[in-house]
Amino acid sequence: MMRTAVALYFSALCISLPVEYSSASALVAQQAPVNPRAQAMFEFKKRVDGYLELRKAVTQKYPEVKETGDPAKIHEREVNLGKGIAMARANAKAGDIFAPVSSQLLKTVEDDWNSRSVADRRAILAEIPKGLVLKVNQPYPPNIALATAPPKLLAQLPMLPEELEYRLVDRRLLLRDRDANLIVDVLVGAEPTRTE
Amino acid sequence: MRVNPLLPVLFTLGVGVLGAQQAPTTTKPAAAPAAQAAKPAVDVTAPRETDSVRFAIIGDSGTGDRRQYEVGAQMTKAMQIFPFEFVIMLGDNIYGSERPQDFVKKFEKPYEGILSQKIPFYASLGNHDDPTQRFYKPFNMNGERFYTFKKGDARFFALDSNYMDQQQLKWLEEQLSRSNDRWKVAFFHHPLYSSGARHGSEVDLRTRLEPLFVKYGMDIVFAGHEHFYERVVPQKGIYYFTQGGSAKLREGNIRVNSALTGKGFDTDNVFMVAELDKESMHFQVLSRTGRRVDAGSLPLMPEPKPAEDKSRSQ
Repeated sequence: MMRTAVALYFSALCISLPVEYSSASALVAQQAPVNPRAQAMFEFKKRVDGYLELRKAVTQKYPEVKETGDPAKIHEREVNLGKGIAMARANAKAGDIFAPVSSQLLKTVEDDWNSRSVADRRAILAEIPKGLVLKVNQPYPPNIALATAPPKLLAQLPMLPEELEYRLVDRRLLLRDRDANLIVDVLVGAEPTRTE
Repeated sequence: MRVNPLLPVLFTLGVGVLGAQQAPTTTKPAAAPAAQAAKPAVDVTAPRETDSVRFAIIGDSGTGDRRQYEVGAQMTKAMQIFPFEFVIMLGDNIYGSERPQDFVKKFEKPYEGILSQKIPFYASLGNHDDPTQRFYKPFNMNGERFYTFKKGDARFFALDSNYMDQQQLKWLEEQLSRSNDRWKVAFFHHPLYSSGARHGSEVDLRTRLEPLFVKYGMDIVFAGHEHFYERVVPQKGIYYFTQGGSAKLREGNIRVNSALTGKGFDTDNVFMVAELDKESMHFQVLSRTGRRVDAGSLPLMPEPKPAEDKSRSQ
């Protein structure tokens, strides 16, 4: 069973191995068949997991709110959790999590954008907030609507744990902590808000 | 079917204009002059059955402005005649800031008359809603962005259409495949079909959801987002309602001559009341001033046969 799982994982890593990689240095490839894309995904996942670990430590101090009729408790927890995480990763900067897959993400967003009709693009553009300056460790502006994440695009992006979500704002792809309302990472150059 | 004694009286108050080809069946008893004089402030008729599932529907409601309060007041009045058991919310439950006082101003106060009767609300999230609303007990979301609940013969699916990721789709398919309920009702924020000039149909979302709805026999879908009321001509055997005008209003926004429109209303704010009995859904749409702007009965469609699409398109 374990052997099968390892073999499957290995096959998955090799699936999109570039041709030149396998033919030019066959020996090396046999010894270390690493798919750069899978490697990047692995690194991205590692960084996401690292964020979750840090977050988990902060939530010890600010545990998840049970359902409550007192919105003050929900608000307070959201604010405190956001501040706590921001403090715990005070040196975080754009790209800290996205970096390993940033080119893949940009390509995915661009391909998705190019596959859409003019009407579809207009509909997406109409929803995406513009003119916002958003930085890592800032809260997402509470008065600004969250642009709907296009489902087709979401299906193409790497899956995230429930604590995190992608959001498009201006020409940026955000990684947002859902319950802390915190911007965890920012990727500049995402296509959908290009003026047409 | 037992006829409520109030029905003949209340039907004299008129049934909304219905699209000719796609008109739901309606009953319109002969006018009774005495009833005209006793016209209630809100033009709603009583439920037809005693054991039916009765609920109200509001969308894009959380502004905290006068219009929301006026709709809330009409709902409270309507509840006296049409005692709905719960309310579903189609998203944009709290616009703008979501400070504790905003929940009071934009939800608790406008619907005070309903909440005081212990009528539960079930919310779905809109693009103006912070997902942490799912922890707000009066919204009954059990801490989940998407969830399901059962009322009588009906199962309701509240979805988060702002973020339709793979996890949610997988969950939905599991829940739908497990459901053998007579009625399946979905509600969420973004309309799969809409004649709105501003937003229009959410085609991307439709590509993800419609195949599941068709495969598993979804019966009715309620959405908001567009700030008006539209009863869409049934699509692939599913009834679609857009009702995002319970506080916001985008006047004149329904595209004229849209083939999708069964009935549209975009000149005032509205709310809906609906009743699901064993055979039909009976609905009424009421304006901020208490006027009935649409009403009718829609028959329960047959369940899809296994391995066959529920193709009942018009």
